[in-house]
Amino acid sequence: MERLTRLTAALLRAAEPVLPSEHRAWAQALRTEAAEVPAGRDRLAWLAGGIRFTLRAAVLNRGLGYPLVFAAVVVGTAWTAWSGPPGDSAIVINRVDVIAISVILAGLPWAIRRAYGSVAHSRSARMIRTAGYAAILLLVLVKAAVERVADAPPNNLAGSAVAWTGEIMFLAVMACYAAAILAWTAGRSPVRLATVMTGGTIGVALGTLVYLLGPLGFPLRFTGWWPTHLYDAGIALGVLLALCAPVATGLAATRRACGSMPAASRVRQGAMAGLYTGLAAALVVAILSTITIALLPYDDGLRNWAVSHIGQWTPAVGQAAPVVGARLGYVAGNSAFAAGYLVVLLLSPLAGCGLGAVAGRAASQVDPSSSSR
Amino acid sequence: MGHRSGFSAQTLAVLAELAATPSRWRHGYGIARDTGLQSGTLYPVLIRLASRGLVEASWEDEQPSGRPRRHLYRLTPDGLATATAALAQARSADPVQPGPRARDRRRAAARAVQWSG
Repeated sequence: MERLTRLTAALLRAAEPVLPSEHRAWAQALRTEAAEVPAGRDRLAWLAGGIRFTLRAAVLNRGLGYPLVFAAVVVGTAWTAWSGPPGDSAIVINRVDVIAISVILAGLPWAIRRAYGSVAHSRSARMIRTAGYAAILLLVLVKAAVERVADAPPNNLAGSAVAWTGEIMFLAVMACYAAAILAWTAGRSPVRLATVMTGGTIGVALGTLVYLLGPLGFPLRFTGWWPTHLYDAGIALGVLLALCAPVATGLAATRRACGSMPAASRVRQGAMAGLYTGLAAALVVAILSTITIALLPYDDGLRNWAVSHIGQWTPAVGQAAPVVGARLGYVAGNSAFAAGYLVVLLLSPLAGCGLGAVAGRAASQVDPSSSSR
Repeated sequence: MGHRSGFSAQTLAVLAELAATPSRWRHGYGIARDTGLQSGTLYPVLIRLASRGLVEASWEDEQPSGRPRRHLYRLTPDGLATATAALAQARSADPVQPGPRARDRRRAAARAVQWSG
């Protein structure tokens, strides 16, 4: 009992720094008063109450809640991505991936806080951060599931150098995504939160639409003339919407900023709205498509469809080595991921930014108040 | 479960305990012992009361021999007025509804009403 009491007291003392500063004196008071409580069960109960109070205060004041949830999610992701035979290059890449992304996601808030301040006092800002982090970790998780098979011998047709290069690029892109999400939702963000919210919402809708229209999200095969052309028209409409969405968000963000910002800042709001639209859309497309690829070996219908569809995207893979059956789905899918979705993740925000900036510039020139500024 | 006064039974118990001797500084364990509240319940109550300006807190000025300095609490003038009104209201309040840990709440409420009388 005495040992347990001492351990609880030590825990209480060690936990004090996680409390908000205004609560630390109270925790210290509780701990020092334990000396006056009769030794044994009563003192242990007193100290245990102190632990409960400390945890509750830390979680309620967000000093500990978000880090705890983040740590739990990272541990879950690592546990899922870690498994596999030792010595397999794909497993090594997955492990490096999880460790690197955990360090990046844990360290970036600290770096961003120094530059842009703490998170904005808004439920929306916290929601965007949580959703952004969840999306990045989910992408890491499903990508690991794909690579566990696709990059493992004998499916690793591209070689480890290519795989590592792709991995480094992927981590760099994810670091940029996380930094952008954190910076735009910070208290001193140069972008309005409403701009980020609009861009994000439209981006998620656009990403879902692109996935549904794309081959991976549309596992139906049309044979007739009308259905085929109707599908092609749907794809053309999707492409048009993909181009229009950043323009629309850029226009909306610029118009919202009219009257309260100089012309250059309004154009920047438009560019950032477009960028965030492209970023959210790319994340959604990459996640949904990679989940579909990860499910290929477990779904006969999906796999049979992939043999005849995805393989056509990547004839180079078929030429490099004869690939058949389930492996074709994976190899083609992974090839599509590495070569395709990494490009989507890289270029979609840039394209969105460009389109949003053009829209912002156009709206800014039309606005009569711009000439006076 | 809140009372009509807006305070929980536990908060009323703490207010009643402090209002019994309003000019006297009390320490946490003393309040906990006399109200029957656990430390994990008492300290959040004290923090809430202090943040509303109803309780003032202070460390003992000098280091006593044989024990650590105590963190002391007493009602502010506002706190005394609020406690008196809340406890008077609690005396005429409805009985505490049953539910989780109802026994603790009933005990604390009974003490609060008893002391306020």
